Amino acid sequence: MTTMTLFDKPGARARKRHAVMEVLSLAVIAAAVLGVYGVLDSHGEFGAAAWQPFTQWGLWKLLAVGLGNNLRAAALGMALSLAFGALLAIGLLARRKAIRVPCRIITDVFASVPLLLLLYFTSLVLPSYGLKLSDFWFLVIALTLYSSAVIGDLLRSGILAIPHGQSEAAQALGFSPLRTMQLVLLPQALRSMSPALVSQMVILFKGTALAYVLGGYLELLRSATVIGTYYSRSLLQAQFVAAIIFMIINIALSSVATAIERRERRRQGTRRSCPWWAGVGYSVWAA
Amino acid sequence: MPNLSGYAADFTHGILVTLELTVLGWVGALVLGTILTALRVSPIRTLRAVSAAYVTVFRNIPIPVQMILFVFGLPLLGIQYSLFVSAAIVLVLYTAPFVSETLRAGLNTVSTGELEALRALGFAPGPSMVHIILPQAFGTVVKPLGNVLITMIKNTSVAALVGVADLTFTSNKASVDQAQPFIIFGGAAVAYLVIGLIVSRLVASLDRKAAFSR
Repeated sequence: MTTMTLFDKPGARARKRHAVMEVLSLAVIAAAVLGVYGVLDSHGEFGAAAWQPFTQWGLWKLLAVGLGNNLRAAALGMALSLAFGALLAIGLLARRKAIRVPCRIITDVFASVPLLLLLYFTSLVLPSYGLKLSDFWFLVIALTLYSSAVIGDLLRSGILAIPHGQSEAAQALGFSPLRTMQLVLLPQALRSMSPALVSQMVILFKGTALAYVLGGYLELLRSATVIGTYYSRSLLQAQFVAAIIFMIINIALSSVATAIERRERRRQGTRRSCPWWAGVGYSVWAA
Repeated sequence: MPNLSGYAADFTHGILVTLELTVLGWVGALVLGTILTALRVSPIRTLRAVSAAYVTVFRNIPIPVQMILFVFGLPLLGIQYSLFVSAAIVLVLYTAPFVSETLRAGLNTVSTGELEALRALGFAPGPSMVHIILPQAFGTVVKPLGNVLITMIKNTSVAALVGVADLTFTSNKASVDQAQPFIIFGGAAVAYLVIGLIVSRLVASLDRKAAFSR
């Protein structure tokens, strides 16, 4: 996606001007990088002392355990919220008001409440009701509560985008409404919404970093902090490494979403039931 | 029923802090996002690369990580701001890439005929950007941009992670003290819901206005 139509092919004068600007901006950036390097270097952040702990195998293992916990929580939260989200989508499309309205309220509330608030809620409320769960489950439940609402709404709009003839045909063939949903509508909605679902996975993975607040749960950000308490010289380095790991995994997940999206669009060909901004790329929504 | 009225002042303060963070974050993210978009479509290759790199890096590092890095990491280098200011800066840094990407998609919807007309009329790239293209781009992305900003309201809660007394932080504190989590968290949830609803109403009416110019 480029926006280069704005400019003509530059002529001789413009090319010269662009070359000057190119050099100037390079100089500014080089100066900025040098400045940052200078600050880092003057605090000895590149020194062997700061990076020495990273030569130990155990430290990387700690980071790996943290990352594993992030991934586990995100994956389980995703699986659960797909199941509950599908149920919620069915409820949101129910003909009876007594089902539809409560589902709508649940969706709107949990989709507009911050994940951190839900995490505080699960970690405070569930133990006081005798549910002695581990921090892992507090995180997974909070993720599921939030993500079910989002996925429910996604699947609802996915189902609504399916041509009406599909459900009429299923009805004519004698499928019950629930069977129609299960065998005809939901699979198609899951498929057409798959890029958005992968983006939701990115959101969940990013959200797992909030478990830092539980203190006792060893996720990647907490691992980095733990390293920082043992090797106080290396806190910044550990946080930096953790940030890079998060970044790489998110880039990988987003590119999967983009690939699926491209494939879907090719498959659908001209039959576009999506609004124009579907071309924005679902990855944009993974805020 | 324990006495919760003592927390009314805390709660109001928490809501105010959340609103302040929201507004600061919005303004900052819109400004930075617009700058990033302008860089992204500039004819200078270096500037395009800088914008692309910024978007990739800051969009893909989770906001809790950025917050912790900013608040606990940077002071080691002697860079330190108050917690509230740090939270606002991190919100802006994290949200701007999303604004930029959305805006870029809007730029692409401005028809090429219009660009050609501008060139025929002798508009330079800069002025045509400021007067013709950007206003239209903003007009087409009011709704998606609104969604990005509504998501940001929820992200303000990450400030609670480092101890800024916003709505999330206050309700957690009150629940720990009072053991009435259902009422307190319910109240906080309603507050977030109301803020979100008001904003989405505003966005919808803005979008209707922008639809006229489309």
